[in-house]
Amino acid sequence: MRSGTVTPHAVANCLAIVRRGPEKNPSASPLLNDLAMRTDLIIGMAGSGGDGVVSAGESLITAAALEGYHAIMTKSFGSQIRGGESSCRLRISNREVLNSGGTLDVAIALNWEDFLKFGAELPVNGHTVVIYDSKTGVAPDRIPLAGVSPAEVVAVPVGDIAKQTAGTDRAKNTVVLGLLAGWFGIARDSILAGIRKKFGKKTPEVLAANERAFTAGIAHAAANPLRTEWKMAPAVAGERPLLVDGNELCAAAAIFAGCDFFGGYPITPSTEIMQFLSREIWKYGGTVLQAEDEIAGIGAVVGASFAGKKALTATSGPGMSLKTEMLGLASIAELPLVCVNVQRGGPSTGLPTKSEQADLLQAVFSAHGDVVRPVLAPISVADTFGITVEAFNIAEQYQTPVIVLSDQEIAQRKETVRPIDTSAFRIVERRRPTAAELEHYTRFRITESGISPISQPGEPGGNYLASGIEHNEHGAPTASGEMHARMTEKRLKKFHPLKQRRDLFVIEGPADAPIALVGWGSVAGVAREALRLAQADGLRVKLLIPKLLYPVAEEIYADFFASVQAGLIVEQSYQGQLHHIIRMFVDVPAGIESFARAGSNPIVADEVLTRAREMTLALQRRRVPQTEPRE
Amino acid sequence: MTSVAAAVAEQHLPKEYQSDLKPIWCPGCGDFGVLSAIYRALAAIGRPPHEIAFVSGIGCSSRIPGYTTAYGFNTVHGRALPIAQGIKLANPSLLVLVAGGDGDGFSIGGGHVAHAIRRNADLTYLVMDNQIYGLTKGQLSPTSPRGLKTVTSSFGSLEAPVNPLLYVLGYGAGFVAQGTPADMVGLEQIIREAIRFPGFAFVNVQSPCVTFGEPDAQLKVHKLKMQSLSKLGHNPADRLRAMDLAQAYGTELYTGIFYRTPEPSPTYEELVHARHEELRGAARPRERILDQFRPE
Repeated sequence: MRSGTVTPHAVANCLAIVRRGPEKNPSASPLLNDLAMRTDLIIGMAGSGGDGVVSAGESLITAAALEGYHAIMTKSFGSQIRGGESSCRLRISNREVLNSGGTLDVAIALNWEDFLKFGAELPVNGHTVVIYDSKTGVAPDRIPLAGVSPAEVVAVPVGDIAKQTAGTDRAKNTVVLGLLAGWFGIARDSILAGIRKKFGKKTPEVLAANERAFTAGIAHAAANPLRTEWKMAPAVAGERPLLVDGNELCAAAAIFAGCDFFGGYPITPSTEIMQFLSREIWKYGGTVLQAEDEIAGIGAVVGASFAGKKALTATSGPGMSLKTEMLGLASIAELPLVCVNVQRGGPSTGLPTKSEQADLLQAVFSAHGDVVRPVLAPISVADTFGITVEAFNIAEQYQTPVIVLSDQEIAQRKETVRPIDTSAFRIVERRRPTAAELEHYTRFRITESGISPISQPGEPGGNYLASGIEHNEHGAPTASGEMHARMTEKRLKKFHPLKQRRDLFVIEGPADAPIALVGWGSVAGVAREALRLAQADGLRVKLLIPKLLYPVAEEIYADFFASVQAGLIVEQSYQGQLHHIIRMFVDVPAGIESFARAGSNPIVADEVLTRAREMTLALQRRRVPQTEPRE
Repeated sequence: MTSVAAAVAEQHLPKEYQSDLKPIWCPGCGDFGVLSAIYRALAAIGRPPHEIAFVSGIGCSSRIPGYTTAYGFNTVHGRALPIAQGIKLANPSLLVLVAGGDGDGFSIGGGHVAHAIRRNADLTYLVMDNQIYGLTKGQLSPTSPRGLKTVTSSFGSLEAPVNPLLYVLGYGAGFVAQGTPADMVGLEQIIREAIRFPGFAFVNVQSPCVTFGEPDAQLKVHKLKMQSLSKLGHNPADRLRAMDLAQAYGTELYTGIFYRTPEPSPTYEELVHARHEELRGAARPRERILDQFRPE
């Protein structure tokens, strides 16, 4: 059997992973049974590389954004350079969407084999409408697989329609857009406008062909109504959102924060940060250096920071391993810089195109030597902006490297984001020496805060030796143990105020709730949705989302856990790395469990909710014997 | 003030570049001579110390920045060149010097040399080549001769040495020279020429290790062996002849300029500057950077 062939195991994975809560049942109200309106819809599409499913997804999310829907789109690929399987999933909603959701409402397979390769990333269950290209070679009676019968399975001659109307197979994705607009009423006018914009740049023939393909998709839907008919409820038009992914927002935030230098080496899934900056940063007088390797990339960043610039590097796990010696240098030389690690499945090449949260231990302990480096993690696409700005602020304020732990899910997920008011963000600059301080300049002066003024080459009077070797207050190399102790204390104590930064934690739910949910990074969105579902269920649950992962803010955790008897630390790694880190520093209640899963196997809100329900029940049962003696 | 008086007033003395720190080197180390030549070359160039960034890696020679009054950065092993490029790109008006040993430049950091050269980063790179790891007490270096017995090659090294001169010539460096503290006048002149060269300039300094170096690599031997390239009638514009002469690395001790391109290519920093000029005014204000994400 060649690798990549669909196995029964893969099919079972695909079909059986996720249960669905009742809140999404389209037939909840009998009055709406005939033409139910949905407010939350998940569509998954898969095909071969040339099928254009990702392009169709992009057209769809753009149209959805223009109509005023909230939407998230994730892409997933096999690791082939061209061809191979590719997929995307979209969640479109009338409310804020917190994560990309679980089971599909609509599954589109331009090719079944490709579809099934995505397994749990595109899960189907009993309410899913499955649409597939009839050319795909799978008989309809084979579709109910692994015991799960989708609500409806529809074969459409997608390829034939494309050829008949547009004259080419390549318009299959446009036909699919027509089918979606026709059957589910999604953003028809905006999709058409998008097609006109996109293909208007090409020849009039190409545009006309795609218009015909789109219209034919709509016509096919009209001529072949679905058994379970429902439509997407119209969007509530509001302020037009941004449509952006985490990598783009990270790069844009760097420019906003005043970053003028990027040094790095391309590595999936972080490369879009460098690509964005290579288009933009030059316009601001900045520079992008595509270095010869990861080490040189961060090396140039260290140099640029020494010369006074705000500087950024970005990488993923393996690159992070290479950069860590330079992080040690920046820590002891007290130079600000920001290092973004967009996490992927690891170790080594691992799952380079898929998300995992498995580099937390690496980020926290990337230090050789007795040092702390702040680690921040954005919790959504939108949050990537603020977290990146804050990373620069902390780097500048404390003269330290700061690690931003993004992950592939957030970094490459395109999402509607409420317009960001940039005037609400403060920008911090490094503490420069005053004229008086330059008279007798002491670069590493031991101050109350541990922060000392930093000069830069070109500045008269500020001349000093920066070094990786231990040094005295003037920068002169030393081998003195006493001086090393004093300098180590200086370099560590400056971070104490960070641990009081409650603004870097999201805390929701009643303060006295006995059940806790903790999540970080992209999985924070799952935990947030689980909290909403739990509250709707009447469960007494609260939520903690740390954006500052290190240093561990012991007090904030201790306050949060004070009322807690049981709970879950939800994260996308086999080991549950945040769980380990928190327990190193905080007395965690005995009922706190790790809810952790290796990367690329999505965690969905429903399963977190189920566990929270079980925990609530167990607590109630435990309470019964306690009350008995009083009766 | 007359212009002559102004010129005199702006003259710099070597001691202005000398810091208070006392070198840790062994008495008789070749690096003392190199340091002295650097002071003199910098005085002749005349940039004030605060306009100079002096970057180094790890090794005996990498202590040099601390012995000058320039902005110094004693970094990590092998990575001085990338850090120096970051500094130069961040502030092209600085004079950026890089110093290191043969281990820095041709072992742990060997991969960076080619890229600094192909970018034509406007740096002066001084390698103090002593064919041994002195700071860590006598291990094999990438330029150690084959067969050399050291504490890490107890029965003699099995590898041929790197030829630093051919290495940089091969990658297309525009300025390649070699000197020795046995000829202080010549060394100072080479360093000065290297600093003045617009682009990446490489100087291999045969700087003997008095403690762990071979007896035939000491200054006394240098004095006998060294042959001035200019006296030999070498034309530094002749790259092929330079490569031919460079092949004698390890046997002959040629001093002076092997190669200086008659047509220097633009430096990396000049190209960056041109890019900035070209795109001047194209940016929207930083606070409006997000506007481009509005869907249309």
